[in-house]
Amino acid sequence: MLKLERAATALPAHGWQLLPLRFHRLDADSVVLTNLVGEYVFVTPDELSAVVDGTCADQELLARLRAAHLIQVPGETLPAELLAIKLRTRMRRLPDSTGLHIFVVTLRCEHTCRYCQVSRQSAAKNEFDMTEETARRALELAFRSPSPQLKIEFQGGEPLLNFPLVRWITTEANRMNKVHGKDLAFVIATNLALLDEEILDFCAQEQVHISTSLDGPQDLHNGNRRRPGQDSWQQAVEGIRRVQERLGPDRVSALMTTTEASLGRPAEIIDIYAELGLRGVFLRPVSPYGFALRGRGGANYDVGRWLEFYAVGLDRIVELNRQGMPMVEIYASIIAKKMLTNADPGYVDLTSPAGIGIGALVYNYDGDIYASDEGRMLAEMGDHTFRLGTVHDSSYADIMLSDALLNPLTESITLSAPMCATCAFEPYCGADPVFHHATMGDFTGHKALSAFCRRNMDVFTLLLRKMRDDSYFRDLLWRWAQ
Amino acid sequence: MSPAGGEPGPGAEATSASAEIMLAFDQATVDLDALQRAAYAVAAEMTVDIRVCGPDYVCTLFPREPDAADEALKHRFRAEVNDQVLRVRIAKQTEPLRNLVFALAFSQTGLAEGDAEGPAC
Repeated sequence: MLKLERAATALPAHGWQLLPLRFHRLDADSVVLTNLVGEYVFVTPDELSAVVDGTCADQELLARLRAAHLIQVPGETLPAELLAIKLRTRMRRLPDSTGLHIFVVTLRCEHTCRYCQVSRQSAAKNEFDMTEETARRALELAFRSPSPQLKIEFQGGEPLLNFPLVRWITTEANRMNKVHGKDLAFVIATNLALLDEEILDFCAQEQVHISTSLDGPQDLHNGNRRRPGQDSWQQAVEGIRRVQERLGPDRVSALMTTTEASLGRPAEIIDIYAELGLRGVFLRPVSPYGFALRGRGGANYDVGRWLEFYAVGLDRIVELNRQGMPMVEIYASIIAKKMLTNADPGYVDLTSPAGIGIGALVYNYDGDIYASDEGRMLAEMGDHTFRLGTVHDSSYADIMLSDALLNPLTESITLSAPMCATCAFEPYCGADPVFHHATMGDFTGHKALSAFCRRNMDVFTLLLRKMRDDSYFRDLLWRWAQ
Repeated sequence: MSPAGGEPGPGAEATSASAEIMLAFDQATVDLDALQRAAYAVAAEMTVDIRVCGPDYVCTLFPREPDAADEALKHRFRAEVNDQVLRVRIAKQTEPLRNLVFALAFSQTGLAEGDAEGPAC
């Protein structure tokens, strides 16, 4: 740093040149400049003008801009080389696709959640169960992925209603992995109502992670997540405690979905997570897919109201950290990793090229293959745009080179999309062709009208303002990014 | 022109026989590309018609909300145009370096055709 500062002190006006940069006005007195990989510097509007005009004489500012690869001395080669290395590091996931393989082992569920995005089938109708033959063919495709890590996630419906197949797939995957030698992990996404000792024994033996749903306080959760006996919350809380006790506190995580009824209660929701010893909360909006899109899922709120909820919730989480209770807001932590490091957290919604297919593949109970879980949800509404093939007659090449995958990937790349290409937040954001197809009818979407764009722009702006103004928050976000 | 995009810059008020909201931009100082980008970016608030009229581009603003204030819309569009002008300037200055960085980044990844073997299919 000293070297850079000394070098910068020698810079006369017009003695440097701009590197590729983008800007966003955070408020009337502050602008954030970002480079090609998202490294940033805060400046004033006047400083922005002087930098672009080449008249800036503020040596301290020039040193910061040079250190962040926003300007360089003409003839230098190192900044471009370093930017290229960082860019390549961020793209490392591309040749190592696909890490996440979702097995929908049944569509059956004993819950009837208001916002459920997939078909609700009676718990007795086993024609909606995946068969061993379908699962075997799906596993063969999953192991064709170049990724050295494979995560197999069991979803439904409620996957524990087809627990024998969960056990079979796990055993079979471990057997196949003796040849492939991948870093193999298993997750069961379950409401925990069917958890018993046999399942806990299995999870302990196979190192299975549990992902569950917890929408907040009892009345809110049970209002959203209905089941006979109206005891979904009790079952989830008891299940979380049993998993923590038996498998360890880090082997269970929970997700919440924000319905209209949640909007006024962010602190209560977060406090329930804290009471249960859960270290992470993902303040998610309801998905614009499946039944939720039909207005039955408590989705009757706009982006602005969700953002108010998010901001209050984030403040509550920061306050808990100040009080000595470590807790992470997971969406902010994903963004922090993209803002503050060159690692790609691989979160499907916030990647470009999009994460569909590259980041995840979904094997439906009947053998149909989808580019993402949201693509499967659309299919349940009759839109099969993101169906890539079937395990029964598609090869790995058929799937990964299909028009159904390549068209949305190529059409939605943010580096060439209108508005995204010049957006300061492009390195933090993603393409999400499924969202834009579902809400606007094309894979790119009109970003000025896109709820995805507004939500993410506002979250990025919120996080940057807080980092600029609050050193405690800045340090906390750095910790979350690690 | 000043790149102080937060403040109204060029964009003289054009006259109109009707109550249309119009702004004129001198073709010598504002690229059509910047105007079109600005029109795209404000699409949630207004739609914009752009026509060539002598030495000017004349933009007619059509608010999406019928009770939107004319002056606020003009300020909003001028500010967006100024930011887009600045973005176009930056892009022109930095394009060769941008291409260099991308060429360096993707020349050794194995992703480029013929660079290395692709994923096993």
